[in-house]
Amino acid sequence: MASREIVRYKSPARSAFSVLVILFLIIFFVWTVLPLAIMLITSFKDLLDAFKLPQEGDWGGVGVMFDFTPTGDHYIELFTEKHFGVYMRNSLIASLGSAVVSVFLGSMAAYALSRAEFRGKRDLLFWIISTRMAPVVAVMVPLYVIFRSSGLVGTLPGLILAYTTFNLPFAIWILKGFFDNVPYAIEEAALCDGCNRWQALRMIMPLVAPGVGAFIVLCVLFGWNDFLFASIIGSGGAKTLPVATAELVQPVKIQWGSIMAAGVITTVPMMFLGLLIRRYLVTGLTMGAVRE
Amino acid sequence: MATVTITDVWKYYGKTMAVKDLNIDVRDNEFLCLLGPSGCGKSSTLRMIAGLEFISSGDIYFGDVRVNDVPPKDRDIAMVFENYALYPHKTVFENLANPLKFQKMNRADITERVEWAAEMLQISELLQRKPVELSGGQKQRTAIGRAIVREPKVFLFDEPIAHLDAKLRSHMRGELKHLQRRLETTTIYVTHDQLEGMTMADRIAVMHEGVLQQLGTPGDIYNHPVNEFVAGFVGEPPMNFLDCRIERVGDSVSLVNDNIKLVLGGDQVRRLEEKSAAGEVRLGIRPDDLSVEMGRDHGFAIDAKIFVTEPLGGDMLVDAELGKDRVTVKRKIAEMGQPGEPCGISLNIEKLHVFDRESGEAIF
Ligand SMILES: Nc1ncnc2c1ncn2[C@@H]1O[C@H](COP(=O)(O)OP(=O)(O)OP(=O)(O)O)[C@@H](O)[C@H]1O
Ligand SMILES: [Mg+2]
Repeated sequence: MASREIVRYKSPARSAFSVLVILFLIIFFVWTVLPLAIMLITSFKDLLDAFKLPQEGDWGGVGVMFDFTPTGDHYIELFTEKHFGVYMRNSLIASLGSAVVSVFLGSMAAYALSRAEFRGKRDLLFWIISTRMAPVVAVMVPLYVIFRSSGLVGTLPGLILAYTTFNLPFAIWILKGFFDNVPYAIEEAALCDGCNRWQALRMIMPLVAPGVGAFIVLCVLFGWNDFLFASIIGSGGAKTLPVATAELVQPVKIQWGSIMAAGVITTVPMMFLGLLIRRYLVTGLTMGAVRE
Repeated sequence: MATVTITDVWKYYGKTMAVKDLNIDVRDNEFLCLLGPSGCGKSSTLRMIAGLEFISSGDIYFGDVRVNDVPPKDRDIAMVFENYALYPHKTVFENLANPLKFQKMNRADITERVEWAAEMLQISELLQRKPVELSGGQKQRTAIGRAIVREPKVFLFDEPIAHLDAKLRSHMRGELKHLQRRLETTTIYVTHDQLEGMTMADRIAVMHEGVLQQLGTPGDIYNHPVNEFVAGFVGEPPMNFLDCRIERVGDSVSLVNDNIKLVLGGDQVRRLEEKSAAGEVRLGIRPDDLSVEMGRDHGFAIDAKIFVTEPLGGDMLVDAELGKDRVTVKRKIAEMGQPGEPCGISLNIEKLHVFDRESGEAIF
């Protein structure tokens, strides 16, 4: 196979363009990182320091934003008085649980849909993705009724089920793309080598693993950041981090410090997850993108 | 002990017919070659034998066992795929070791077998590489390796050496034939290269458009092709064909067209009468059974003009024009001659083939 080097040819237009690109990247970087930085800094300030802001347009006065004595009080408060440990656990269980269930069921279904030919396959595929076409709020009320009558409201299994309902169609579609990219001949070779169907599927799993890994992350992110399901179906027994954070906004007093700290707590684990599987994320998503 | 019997097998892909009413019995320890042009249903046949393709109708037996419903892993076959089908995430070594692992062979034996196969295929240096890091020919040899590390009941090869260079191909022809003789394993070998069929096979099955044309030893196929298709497909350079009519004058029967008049021998005449051949026939003659002499004073019966000459080292090919027909002649190398120059041709009437012009069936 030929290598995939991208050959570049120098020209003045190209050099000018790359300067523009770098400029754009700098602006983009500030744009995305600044809010996170402010969140992080503010979470270590007490309420007085948090509102020490420079005058508008006074760029020299930016320094006052960094003039504070750091305090971990907000974090301590969140984990002691406000039970954020429990909410974090709920978030983890709900998002990971749904990710694992979605990817497991999804890859089974995707494998079958990728390999088998049968009448109505295209319709079935369309039906599967069509369940994702309505906005979540549109189905919220009926879903809530169903969940309540089955006693799933306010429970973690209920939340996992709700997320799975929404992750699974996606999982099937995306993973089917990954399976489609694995030539069937490889399984045929495995069959001749003495595998049965399951063993043959296991032989090709490493080839779709990047895709599966990447998709697990997407599922986890969906569950972890979800607010709508969590606030309605999870309300009560299965409160997750976004819901708990929202509850810090109380009519009398908006607890900015705690909210910022909660934001950090919610963001950091996902960032680590992202870093951890960054490698797979990249190869995974591009592998599905091109047809070889 | 493994015979493979194919009885009345048909293969349809949707409405496309790939194999039509195929009957072949492959004998124990036989090297059988399925030969035919692209798209004639060779791979389909092989894949049905492997159990990778449904059999639309008919039966396949291994020995006395009907295997239509036996999954590939229980058929004890080793197959080399047309498109290699290597495991992309495994090294060459692991690719070769995979079938042995499923046979629960122990590690030391596996290593020994794999190294033996790699050596024979000249890929010992590549054992730690992944398939993406291999050239086409190296991949193909890896694919062969994965089959020959085993000692199965039946070897199934689908164009296993089509993508190797000429030298390596000739080396591999020898190696595979030697291996088959040594292991005494029934082998079914698919190829579109008639040379591979002629050199390696015990028997050749020539297929065309899903239909078995002829099944016989390489000698049979070469010397007694049953129809025009087989005659034209086997042999390099291919047989020459000329349209003729039969002319009877008294006792003598001859084949005639604008440029030639060939008086047939007694045996040949009898055969013509037996098959009550139509007046219009097609004559076939192999390039080796023609002679050519350059220049105007050639002393041969037929006048022709050189179209082109192609040196082959020790031999040469002369394409000569006979009126509007063109024939290829093979001879020892001599003076080349220029296009357009006159030459003379004679042909060995003993080696003549005659085909029915309508059906293509051989009359003799
Ligand atoms: N999966 C398929 N679906 C539909 N038609 C097919 C399929 N596989 C093969 N065919 C058709 O069946 C016929 C025989 O194909 P097959 O692959 O057996 O040919 P082949 O003799 O192996 O050719 P080649 O030498 O090119 O490999 C062809 O006309 C082909 O188009
Ligand atoms: Mg083929």
